[in-house]
Amino acid sequence: MGGAAAAALIAALLFVRPAHAAMHHAALVIQHASGSVITRCVAFAEDQITGLQLVERSGVQYEAQGFGSMGSAMCQLDREPSAVPPGCFGSGPYWQYFHRQGAGWQTSALGASASGLHDGDMDGWRYAVGKNQPPGVVAFASVCGAPAPPPAASATQVAIVPSQATRLPIATPAPRPSLEALLPSASPSPDAVLTSTGPPTQPPKPAAMAPWLALGTMAILLLTLGAINLRRRGP
Amino acid sequence: MIRHPVAWGAWTIAALAVAFIDRNPYVQALLLLAVINVYLPFRGRHLAGTWKFGLALAVVPIVFSAALSRFGRHVLFTLPPIPIIGGRWTLDAVAFGASTGLALLLTVAVFAILQSTVRSADVVAILPRPLYRAGTTVALALAFAPKTLAAFQSIREARQLRGQRAGWRAAPALLLPLLLTTLERALQYGESLDARGFGSGRRSRYRPFHWTASDLMVVIASLAAIVAIALLPIVPYNPYLDLVPAAPNPDRLFAVGFLAVPAVIASLLRMDHARPHA
Repeated sequence: MGGAAAAALIAALLFVRPAHAAMHHAALVIQHASGSVITRCVAFAEDQITGLQLVERSGVQYEAQGFGSMGSAMCQLDREPSAVPPGCFGSGPYWQYFHRQGAGWQTSALGASASGLHDGDMDGWRYAVGKNQPPGVVAFASVCGAPAPPPAASATQVAIVPSQATRLPIATPAPRPSLEALLPSASPSPDAVLTSTGPPTQPPKPAAMAPWLALGTMAILLLTLGAINLRRRGP
Repeated sequence: MIRHPVAWGAWTIAALAVAFIDRNPYVQALLLLAVINVYLPFRGRHLAGTWKFGLALAVVPIVFSAALSRFGRHVLFTLPPIPIIGGRWTLDAVAFGASTGLALLLTVAVFAILQSTVRSADVVAILPRPLYRAGTTVALALAFAPKTLAAFQSIREARQLRGQRAGWRAAPALLLPLLLTTLERALQYGESLDARGFGSGRRSRYRPFHWTASDLMVVIASLAAIVAIALLPIVPYNPYLDLVPAAPNPDRLFAVGFLAVPAVIASLLRMDHARPHA
């Protein structure tokens, strides 16, 4: 019994992942009804963030409404529509939410606040009428670039990487001028980085051992107690 | 020895609160370990069947969640487009069902321990005076159901011994003797209540309950567990967001440890509490 308890403790300790070991990146693609597309790359220190956090940290204006356990729906994104429609969706076009799956898009089964994004994931939004209208295909590398080297300790942590070539050749005769959409073209120099619009990023922290030690200690104590009571009840 | 129904009631409420408020799998596993620890010294005769029932009950949400939920990223396999069950079966849905199933198993186990440690007569004995008559009636009614079932079985066996056919088609022939047996038992209950002077005057106590140090310790530990579970921050678990659960709050783990106090007391007193009312 003691051996099993020790094995459980060791397994619990080995299970500790080096969380926050490096900055992760997720891409955001937003396609307006006019066809104009804006992209953002968001860096985050956590293992994962929600789709809503991705939008929030990208700095794009949004209005969302919660729908219980299904998560939040997007009522207004990047000032489209100009006013939040009644009931969030209105009766015309609405913001449709997609996850990048392989080379294409897959409709999200959950709302933005209930979906999780990990390093290398991509979310897509499109303002359109009718079901399953995904945005145009955008490569992750074209938004976030190649995998970045580990950030230098003294370097300023950047929450938003300016997206490259955010205007895609999708039938869009007159892109609607949007503050966020214009940002990348306003800072074309390669070393121009935007200031962080997300929550202040923190330096990587070592994984906390206290919960696992407490869990292992409690498990060992309870297993020992169980062994005592089991032997006492023996024939 | 822990015997006071209030002590066991407090422990039951605390264990159920932990089982349903915190769905972190690590907390659930630790709570299951604590409940098993309490079960060992206090287990009754028929609790093995209860565990089997609890395990069977725990499988149901796993099957339902896996078969009906199409959410999640960790695909186990994909079925052709069959109505209801067709599509992606995901590990995330299985994990969600397992979390719910474990909560159900814990509920069954906690009530099984309560059933083996507390007699209905003890609960009636500590009821306040205004509730005494209603409590006695409810306790008698609850005791009536298993006795009626036992009477049904014995009547059916008696018919089989006489060579008469069994099965559901013979059920109408069983109803009349069952009705007569039940009425006879009800009359016996009434007469025994009359003989004891039920309802004739102020209630007397033949064997009043006294609080022991063990009872008080269990109540205090249970209240501490309830307060800790209610006040300490929770680490939520949503397998659809992240399959691997986050580390639980250490304070909550120690709150779960409070629920093992009955097992600690049983081991320290060096007494065999099993079948305390046998």
